Amino acid sequence: MAVIEVKNLKKYYKVHQKEPGLSGSIKSLFHRKYYDVKAVDNVSFEIGEGELVGFIGPNGAGKTTTLKVLSGLLYPTSGFVTALGYTPWDRKPAYQKQFSLVMGQKNQLWWDLPAIESFILNKEIYEVPDAQYKKTLDGLVELLDVKDILKVQVRKLSLGQRMKMELIASLIHSPKILFLDEPTIGLDVVMQKKMRDFIKSYNKKYNATIILTSHYMDDVKELCQRVVIIDKGKLIFDGALDEIIKKYADHKLITVVFGDEVKSQQLAKFGQIKEFEYPKAVISVKRSEAPKIAARILEDFTVEDVNIEEPQIEDIIREVFTGKDFA
Amino acid sequence: MRKYFTVFAIDWQNQFIYRLNFILWRFRNVLRVLMTYYLWISIFSSQTSVFGYTKEQMIAYLLLALFISSLVTSSPSNDNVGGEVSNGTLNNFLVKPIGYLRYWFTRDLSSKLINIIFAVGEISLLYIIFRPSLYVSPNLISLLLLVSAVIIYFLLGKLAISIVFWAPENTWGFMFTILVLMEMFTGLIFPLDLLPHWAFSTLQFTPFPYLIYFPLASIIGKPVDLRILLQSFVWMGILYYLLKKVWAKGLKTYSASGI
Ligand SMILES: Nc1ncnc2c1ncn2[C@@H]1O[C@H](COP(=O)(O)OP(=O)(O)OP(=O)(O)O)[C@@H](O)[C@H]1O
Ligand SMILES: [Mg+2]
Repeated sequence: MAVIEVKNLKKYYKVHQKEPGLSGSIKSLFHRKYYDVKAVDNVSFEIGEGELVGFIGPNGAGKTTTLKVLSGLLYPTSGFVTALGYTPWDRKPAYQKQFSLVMGQKNQLWWDLPAIESFILNKEIYEVPDAQYKKTLDGLVELLDVKDILKVQVRKLSLGQRMKMELIASLIHSPKILFLDEPTIGLDVVMQKKMRDFIKSYNKKYNATIILTSHYMDDVKELCQRVVIIDKGKLIFDGALDEIIKKYADHKLITVVFGDEVKSQQLAKFGQIKEFEYPKAVISVKRSEAPKIAARILEDFTVEDVNIEEPQIEDIIREVFTGKDFA
Repeated sequence: MRKYFTVFAIDWQNQFIYRLNFILWRFRNVLRVLMTYYLWISIFSSQTSVFGYTKEQMIAYLLLALFISSLVTSSPSNDNVGGEVSNGTLNNFLVKPIGYLRYWFTRDLSSKLINIIFAVGEISLLYIIFRPSLYVSPNLISLLLLVSAVIIYFLLGKLAISIVFWAPENTWGFMFTILVLMEMFTGLIFPLDLLPHWAFSTLQFTPFPYLIYFPLASIIGKPVDLRILLQSFVWMGILYYLLKKVWAKGLKTYSASGI
């Protein structure tokens, strides 16, 4: 059964056009021109219990807007949404107690107090029983390794430490659904890895349903069996990560290490040269012809090593974003 | 209910962080009393009674005004709610099972408590220095008027701030104007019954005199009857209803535009 169901969701922002300058401001007092920003434009998907879904798309694609609708912060322009059987923007406490929205830049901690105080406040807000609170907190503190900074003023924590605390504050009520908007933004590679491990184990341990947005493909590769790609408010792909490769990658990459001098002109006939720095070359060739071309290269040149690879997922997605028309 | 106790407790701790700010704010209060005090002293230098107030009564009035304004007008929500709405911090609350206005009312109460504690100290000091003859006779009506004043002040402030939902960019000037106007007509600076009769009775049809003047007049033993208390409650009811409506409409706009 679907935990989250979204059907034909549209969210158009009404933005009023303001002409620059004072006279523009005065004019706009009397006569406002509005235009629509189609942030989410007819998007449908379903998410089942325990799924960990990656939302990707370029800046302004509509990812955050979708998460805001799902958490009840925004009314949609039209469309149907339910989560755990609730309509998010009714803002029913019964629903609110079961999800959490975590935004990379959001700040819900009391800046001047130790983080533990904010945890206690959230415990009360979400009406978490004492025993459960203690257990959850202990678990989270251990997982994220923050035992010795619990009593430090939040303003004195580093960004990474603060993000961990934000995360704990968001999870004190053991939500069944997590909306994570760029949870690894601004973290160093070690912290990113830790955050990913944490998200993975949270998903497993609680069978939690998680939607995650990120601009880091590593997040998506490591965490999400399923990805949803949106661009300019429209859903352009929904499926397993491998399927993106099958669907969009019409080419493979042949990497060759030559034993003898080679000119790039000699290679151009095989396919598109992605990289060439003697002795190594990377050539992009049609998928179906890859074995044949590799054989010919081996025949024509002195070769020390050859490798046929799928293209990088990053590259495919970049191509999908930059408007190679796949529809 | 328990969650609001926790809000109170945490806000209480938080207040001790900005000690300097707090002390400056208290200093401003005392300064205002001293300024009005010297203003009145200079008026009383040429006459012994002004509109029926003796010098002593006037000083008592001003001292108590300091106390009551600490209770009624110390309201950090007025400084924060507008900003939190326009910068989107409100989102943190909208996703949680907590009432945003109740949350801020609770924080206001915490601030009021600490302000009253300080006000008692300051008043004792001023009392020792000036030795006015203080005559007070608070009764149940005074108490109820005070409670009503606290609530009316909160509601009025939030009602004015609600404009931020429709004009998130430029509310500060508006708020400031409203607050200054409010202060003029509350009785904080002078007893309102100094005004010409027509002005005084017109003011009774606004919520302002119910904030400082009437509770204070009742405490210093002026005849403030049940009718006044009733009018105060009516204002409380009207403003509560208005704020509920306006805030709900504002939230609707907020959730549509996603400030
Ligand atoms: N409150 C708002 N009012 C008007 N337009 C908005 C508002 N919020 C977002 N938009 C617009 O809606 C579109 C989608 O924005 P959204 O924040 O959902 O994108 P996103 O996919 O999260 O992008 P990013 O990866 O940069 O975070 C953008 O064109 C943005 O400018
Ligand atoms: Mg975003």
